[in-house]
Amino acid sequence: MAGVRLFGTMGAEASFREEDFFGREEELSALTRAAVEGGRGIGSSFMIYGPPNIGKTSLLLKLAHDLRSAPQEGALPRPFPFYFSFSNILSHPLALSQHFLQEFLSQLLRFLGDEQPAAFDPEGMCDRLAALGFTGYRNILAAHAKYTAAGDGLSALVNALSFPFASGGDPFYPVFLFDDFQYTGKLQGIPDGAMLSILRPYIKSGHYPMLLSGSSPGRVTASLKREGLFGTFQMLEIGGLSPEASLRLWGSLCERRRVEIPASLLPRASERLGRIPVYQRMLAEEIFFRTATVTDAIGLENLYALSVTEGKLNRYWREFFENTFPDRMRRGRAIRFLKRVLCDRFPLDTVEGALSLLGASEEEGEAILSAFEFKGLMKAELEQLTFVGDPVLADFLYWAYERGVLGKGGSQVAASIVQARLSQGAPEPGQGGEHAQRVAVVKELMRKWDLREVPQLLLDYGRFREKFGGKGLLEVVMGMEGEMVRVRLPKISSVSTGYRAHRGGPRFDFDLVAYGFLEGDFSEENLVLWAVDVVPEKNLAARAVEHFESRCRLLALEKGLPADRLRKWMVLDDTADPASVDLAAQYGIHLSHSTQLRLFLNLFGLEELGGEPEGPRPAPLAASPGEKPVEYELVLPMKADSEVVAARVAEEVAAFASVDSDTVDRIKMAIIEACINAFEHSASESGKVRLRYLLSPEKIELFVQDDGKGFRAGKTSEESKKNRGWGLKLIRELVDEVEIVTGQDGTVVRMMKRFGGVPAGPDLPRKEAEGGADPAGSR
Amino acid sequence: MTENLTIRTRVEGKTVVVYVGGYLNSLLGEEVEKVVRELFDAGIRRVLLHFGETRLVNSIGISFVIGIVEKVMEREGRMAFCEVSRINRDLFRVTGLAKYVPSFETEKDALEYLSGEV
Repeated sequence: MAGVRLFGTMGAEASFREEDFFGREEELSALTRAAVEGGRGIGSSFMIYGPPNIGKTSLLLKLAHDLRSAPQEGALPRPFPFYFSFSNILSHPLALSQHFLQEFLSQLLRFLGDEQPAAFDPEGMCDRLAALGFTGYRNILAAHAKYTAAGDGLSALVNALSFPFASGGDPFYPVFLFDDFQYTGKLQGIPDGAMLSILRPYIKSGHYPMLLSGSSPGRVTASLKREGLFGTFQMLEIGGLSPEASLRLWGSLCERRRVEIPASLLPRASERLGRIPVYQRMLAEEIFFRTATVTDAIGLENLYALSVTEGKLNRYWREFFENTFPDRMRRGRAIRFLKRVLCDRFPLDTVEGALSLLGASEEEGEAILSAFEFKGLMKAELEQLTFVGDPVLADFLYWAYERGVLGKGGSQVAASIVQARLSQGAPEPGQGGEHAQRVAVVKELMRKWDLREVPQLLLDYGRFREKFGGKGLLEVVMGMEGEMVRVRLPKISSVSTGYRAHRGGPRFDFDLVAYGFLEGDFSEENLVLWAVDVVPEKNLAARAVEHFESRCRLLALEKGLPADRLRKWMVLDDTADPASVDLAAQYGIHLSHSTQLRLFLNLFGLEELGGEPEGPRPAPLAASPGEKPVEYELVLPMKADSEVVAARVAEEVAAFASVDSDTVDRIKMAIIEACINAFEHSASESGKVRLRYLLSPEKIELFVQDDGKGFRAGKTSEESKKNRGWGLKLIRELVDEVEIVTGQDGTVVRMMKRFGGVPAGPDLPRKEAEGGADPAGSR
Repeated sequence: MTENLTIRTRVEGKTVVVYVGGYLNSLLGEEVEKVVRELFDAGIRRVLLHFGETRLVNSIGISFVIGIVEKVMEREGRMAFCEVSRINRDLFRVTGLAKYVPSFETEKDALEYLSGEV
């Protein structure tokens, strides 16, 4: 055996940094007391458990460190902390016994003040111990060699485990810090629980405190119960650090890594990571390698999201799953399952339910659950399953699912994660008719931009106020004529109301997002996005600017846009706090007051904002005022594919107005979707849908009316319903206005599509956006 | 209206071109899904959906296409679209399909893309 060096336990010990250990005072105190009381034969034993990476190993190593450095108390024997991890052992008992001996002898010599031996030489180490006055080990070693030569693994293991107890009457006694104890169940040819059976008399004596630690307490406690030892052990569950300890750890990490994070952000950073020390260390390193400075909450969230989607936190969990489930298919199944449970909070607490959700064969399902339990991701007590609540793991699973199953890009997933965080506590987007009207006006304005140039002052409220504050509109108009600094506006290809990333939770929208092209060519190089918020409040507060900036950064992240390709614009209603104007300037946000916007609109020959009060809105079924439209009607049976007839009629009707084929396609598609929606959801008794087409030179209005009373549960299977629900969203993309009104007589969907570039009035506010009745789930 | 169910397939190297003709609604969507599933079961991993003969599309048809794309990605296949009309391109953009599956003007360009190594 001479000259062989096995590595394992020492790796864990060598990577422990005492200066990185914070908190856990209560646990340390209880464990220290148990260790010290071993000297008087009243030492307790502990089963320490908790999720993987929570800090159990660090706790044991800290305890070992403290016990080693504690001063001798009188004539009492000293506790010798013997740390041994079973996670890296070879599964053959002979290899384990050899490794165990090596570690014991080597740690004991160090405890007694000797240097670390360079190679594993058990005879030499026993001789050295004898020289220090500790005899008796050589005989046991000889017996061990005999069993090893005979290939008797069990006897060799019994022999090795008895080794530490040969020191009776010495001025020290061993305290066992056995880490990753659940791995002892994997020894070849050794029955589960045999280790505890061997150790049983020593545990019972009270002289040798055993501190067993592991991620899978279920297996170990079952063995303890079988051996009648369960009552001897106290259970100690380890969770995240206390808030205060977590902050102290941040302080130390930031100082050592020279990372700058404002103190006000540290509690947020702690909570984000579940106050788990290993994550804090990883994120600190990530920040160090990426930027070394975090200035605000958005920056922090972005760095966290990057780490969990492509950085250290990601690598950590990826390796964990690759090691736990080497088979790719099984790994995919395990990740999908855990994602459903941890991210989607699928209610699950029984083995049967878990097997069903896994959707695998019973054998494979049990293997996956068993691996979860072994690794500490799941606990099974009295057939009740509980899963680990780890926020970083949940985000990792979300990434793995979105990327692996749905094929999304890393930056998209990162953006979703940031969004989910930032959306908490976000102010509600402005609603209501007036706001919707103002948004519609800005939308129309942007559609007219078409590479035209406007004075920069129209987009800079701070300078505008400085120059024209208190002056009348005429003075302003005249003053603006001399403005030479101009901004070239992009050619806008589409303006959509709102921006929605994908993850659940509250909506997190802009009022408008416009896709534009800088030089007229619709190419990737020319693409520029305008994110716009029309401030609903009378007064613009700094908080709203912050919130807008957060969403802009999110949008840039999601789209992978460089800073100069995202233009940010806020349109004020009335007043603004000076701080918010400064903040907007600082973030590079264009800011326009309603006066500026009025000038803007004049340039494009559009309606004024906040002009004369609006008259009462037209009744939903009335045609638009102005030129008398031509009306066509059609009654369709609610029958598969009869929507195609509606589309053909629309095509014929539109042909009278000589509109381009793309517009015709849009009208056809919109009416198809509205018909399908009525067929599927109306619960109509007549089984008919009534359509009206109102054609005027500048637009077509389409009305799809059913006599349904509301939502009718679909008869389609869950599988075929998957990916559904696009109808209304598509309609909104296809036409210029959509309005849904549900009344006593049924539901009417009104759609309007303009032809060509005729200026239009503001959009009607959407009924459903105001919380009105939504007659069908997908509408 | 079963005349809308027009699907043809053609093998080109390791790729199978699926011609989706007529009205892409739930019936046709289901058929396309079935065809693609059978191709995958038979070991084909590269599929080109050809929309040159598609006259109309509805959201249910699109939902089937989304389902097909998810399954192809899940099974590590490659996919492309070609000859997609302007309006359908817009719909694919809105539904997010365009992010995951490239569209090509011509069948030739799409086949060239699919014949390349991953």
